[in-house]
Amino acid sequence: MTPPQADTDGVAVELRGITKRFPGTLANDSVDLTVRRGEIHALMGENGAGKSTLMSVLYGMERADAGSIRIDGREVSFASPSDAMAAGLGMVHQSFKLFDSLTVAENVVYAAEPRRFGLVDRAAARRRVRELAEEHGLAVDPDARVGELPVGLRQRVEILKLLHRGARTLILDEPTAVLTPAEADALFAVLKSLASQGRSVVLVTHKLREVLAGSDNVTVLRDGRVVARLVTAQTSAEEIAAAMTGRAVELDRIHAPGTPGDVVLDVSGLSTDAVHDVELAVRAGEIVGIAGVAGNGQSELVEALAGLRPVTAGRVSLKSQDITHASATERRAKGLAYVPEDRHAVGTAPAASVADNLAMGHHRTSLSSRGLLPPAAVRAHARRLVERFGIKASTPEVPASALSGGNLQKLLIGRELAHDAPLLLVEQPTRGVDIGAIQNIHDQLIAYRDAGHAVLLVSAELSEIRGLADRVLVMYEGRVTASYTKDEADERILGLAMAGAPAPVEAVD
Amino acid sequence: MNHRILGALRSPITFSVLAGVLIGALFLVGTGADPVSAYDAVLTGSLGADGIGSTLSTGTSVLGMALALAIPLRAGLINLGGDGQMVLGGITAAVTGLYSPLPAPLTVVLALLAGMAAGAAYAVLAALCENHLGVPLLVSSLLLSYPAVSLASYLARYPLKDPGSSLPQTRALPDGVALPAFGDSTVTVGLVLVVLAAAAYWFTDRRTAFGYEIRMTGLNARFAAYAGVERQGLTLKLMSVSGALAGLVGAVGVLSFPYRFVDGSLTAPGYTWTGLTAALLAFAAPLGTVIASFFFAVLQVGGLAMERTTEVPRELTQVLQAVVIVFLAARLRFPSRWFDRHKEAV
Amino acid sequence: MFFDSDLLMSALRALTPILLAALGGAICERAGVFNIGLEGMMLLGCFTSVATSWFTGSPWLGVLAAALAAAAYSLILAVGAVTLRGDAVVLGIAMNLLAVGLTSFLLRTVFGVQGTFDDPSLAGLPLVGGFTPLAYLAWLAVAVAAVLLSRHVWGLRLRGVGEAPDAAATLGVSPAKYKYAAVLVSGVLCGLAGAQLALGNVTLFSENMTAGRGWIAVVAVMLGRAAPVGVLLAALLFGLAEAAGFRLQGLGLPQQATDAAPYVVTLGALFLTTARRRRTRPSPGAAS
Repeated sequence: MTPPQADTDGVAVELRGITKRFPGTLANDSVDLTVRRGEIHALMGENGAGKSTLMSVLYGMERADAGSIRIDGREVSFASPSDAMAAGLGMVHQSFKLFDSLTVAENVVYAAEPRRFGLVDRAAARRRVRELAEEHGLAVDPDARVGELPVGLRQRVEILKLLHRGARTLILDEPTAVLTPAEADALFAVLKSLASQGRSVVLVTHKLREVLAGSDNVTVLRDGRVVARLVTAQTSAEEIAAAMTGRAVELDRIHAPGTPGDVVLDVSGLSTDAVHDVELAVRAGEIVGIAGVAGNGQSELVEALAGLRPVTAGRVSLKSQDITHASATERRAKGLAYVPEDRHAVGTAPAASVADNLAMGHHRTSLSSRGLLPPAAVRAHARRLVERFGIKASTPEVPASALSGGNLQKLLIGRELAHDAPLLLVEQPTRGVDIGAIQNIHDQLIAYRDAGHAVLLVSAELSEIRGLADRVLVMYEGRVTASYTKDEADERILGLAMAGAPAPVEAVD
Repeated sequence: MNHRILGALRSPITFSVLAGVLIGALFLVGTGADPVSAYDAVLTGSLGADGIGSTLSTGTSVLGMALALAIPLRAGLINLGGDGQMVLGGITAAVTGLYSPLPAPLTVVLALLAGMAAGAAYAVLAALCENHLGVPLLVSSLLLSYPAVSLASYLARYPLKDPGSSLPQTRALPDGVALPAFGDSTVTVGLVLVVLAAAAYWFTDRRTAFGYEIRMTGLNARFAAYAGVERQGLTLKLMSVSGALAGLVGAVGVLSFPYRFVDGSLTAPGYTWTGLTAALLAFAAPLGTVIASFFFAVLQVGGLAMERTTEVPRELTQVLQAVVIVFLAARLRFPSRWFDRHKEAV
Repeated sequence: MFFDSDLLMSALRALTPILLAALGGAICERAGVFNIGLEGMMLLGCFTSVATSWFTGSPWLGVLAAALAAAAYSLILAVGAVTLRGDAVVLGIAMNLLAVGLTSFLLRTVFGVQGTFDDPSLAGLPLVGGFTPLAYLAWLAVAVAAVLLSRHVWGLRLRGVGEAPDAAATLGVSPAKYKYAAVLVSGVLCGLAGAQLALGNVTLFSENMTAGRGWIAVVAVMLGRAAPVGVLLAALLFGLAEAAGFRLQGLGLPQQATDAAPYVVTLGALFLTTARRRRTRPSPGAAS
């Protein structure tokens, strides 16, 4: 099934037979991809399917082991992103590559500055930003500091940066992960107008909704191979999903509801940085999910609950004991465990051994007596958890940095579950984790709930929230703006609420 | 086990020490000396019958300061104020020794405790600067050091000056106010005290929950904080221990020959910097710190012997010390894809 | 009359070495390299300038040699911290130690003396209007650095590299190149600072003669938030403290009190500014 060879005039990017091998995995296996001028082409696949590797190869960040790249019909070989940029490619990375302390104009012209006598011509830079912004409907103040802009505008700056460099093909990596549905719609309007001017867009994503709404063609990768090439207008969500997962459509695995008991966590009128007047309760045997676009106060709320961020107003109680101003240690002692969002920077010490990482939090309780911490107890504890949670580590003495992302997450979740604490706070439990590990982690969380514990789950993945949570709260601009039961919480309703316009299903309690 | 030995050989520590020795040899050749006889002089001068006493008494101060700096370093905190804390400990011990009404043996104990308390209090001041005023510990501890050294110097030159001498020194301590020495050597009970401190550090580091928290803080401070280790409290505790040990070194110095506080005599040999070098070389691991301290004491004492026999200035040993740390900080090692983490290589 | 033009003049003289070194530190800071090796690079500059001036008879060659030697020395930091990704703090400390050892060693092997080398025939820098030409150069360097950093293409790229090296790299700007350049410039400036100290402020070399000035420069970078003009003001504060200390000594205060004055003043200034910054911007919470 090779793409038509005629009319190379209309082809902007053509990848042929791209193969890329990493130690132990074949990330891309003879992948072909053709993107025409004026086309919005979605590249889909689950985590680990090979999308990012393919784009890294295209953008000169990785070298392919085999295969060729043609841009506008000419064969090219990129040694760096600059080469790719010079050939008319431009990429918006999932984590933005911006300079927060510099202005919008400085960010846009960086490394391609208009000059006068060697100095940066600021007036020309500003003018250029205004022109580009006007032409493409990407209004943003050229003098604003990028660090002070909301996420949607920061993304515009990224796009302006590429347009300023004359990019004819734009690659966007998961561009809507941080956007509200309304912002995403605005982004797609911009992309469509860019395509209508003859530019091409490659959209790397795993979100079906936006692919169906915004793309012309879809290429689906699975296990490093192209498994489907589809015309968007002639396909369906089910067909794409089946191609992505390789199994019959079970879009969202919804677990059976739990049986809530007594209230374990009771929060009233809680305020802290970026969080205002939050009310919520989590009962034993219940998972409460918090949905919301990243940056709407979820992290701050969880940190405040964990005792890592001072509470400015309100009251928090755990099993009817007031813990509003308790330290993190006191909270843990009273029955709280916590899986933080960033497993490398916060949740573990990558340079320490697996055994030492597994001991954290247990080192003052079950593993020690009168302040002594026998190394034998630490090792035995590590062996137990490695076994129980299926953590793949050669010995407990290896540094945690040697573990894969999924295994490190299992370590972190296993360690916290092992506290058997009445309340578990979990943030983004499966971010960047492969499918097998996701299933495992979800099953663990459900089992933990069914054992009669309360779980507060924060996730940016709606499917995860819908699959696991017995109740869903939506956070928007630091407030809990809506609350739904498991049955009410479908994608449309949650999407509206996350955008700040909750549909009237049920009043917030 | 074999793997472990191989690893130790390939570690950056081995590389750095050998590179230091090699560069030292180049310097020796450059000045026209024979490297073999020079290094031989270093070893016989420091480990031979004539030198071992001197090595152990120098080692007392070096190990004391190395422990003082290693303990906060284990948690990633760098105390650059060792000089100030040590000198305050010394001058406080001198004052206590001169004016205590207690019998001599008790006065000695009191002087040691007072010196430790003074050093600890001053180190805590630097910790408070970081905790409450936002001045990084590195900077606050170093800047506080200079006024402390000036204050001690002033006290030794004016109010406490020995009227019978032209040197900037206090009066000699009363008879019996001195640390017992081994035989007629210069090695005192001070060595026993710092070795006990090293043992206590080893035990805390390996066998206690507190030591575990210190290590984890050093490896990832945010991880430790997430699990409930309170950084500010930890900084205060570690700095007070650090300052107390520095103060102890100062007090031991004053309670040993010549039994008085002599301006500059505590800081001139560079114990603080040598101690810091030893702590850095050992990645602050307890056993490693002891070994590195001994190594540097050998260099320092042997340097004098080398100067006598080869006429190469003893400052060369200081160069050698610094070169070792330069290589170590750059993480140079023998080529191998072996570990990328610090581990106690001993 | 305590504050008079003499005091100001001596403050300005005391200021020059700090200012040059602090400018170097500020440029490194902006490029994202924490440089606490200023003290050592300066000390090496002191020795090189004195030795070269002594053997050639030309203080100008001494200045040039100091700048080159310190720049070469700064490569330790550049290679160690940028290429090998070592710890810049430990490297800086090691460089400071190495400079003390190396200069003391050379003092004895080259000049055969211990402590201080001082000779009437050692040629120092000439004074023009009460200041050495290096002092004027330092003030000019502030202006040049200010314009380069805020307006020039290099400055923009350097600031970008310091803030987000990844982002700069994706746009084809090599962070390593800019970091190397910043470290080398700081080496040159510290070399000049050392020459000013040893051939301008005094005309001699003594062991560890920088006596913490490089550290004061590190603090000046913090106080001045790594902006050239801010650094100038911070260095001026130190210069005034040192000059006032000398004045007080003349009025009968013991030398030790005046020795300590600059450090106490610096620390105090640091308290005040960080305390104020903390009030205006609340701390980001325990997790940070």
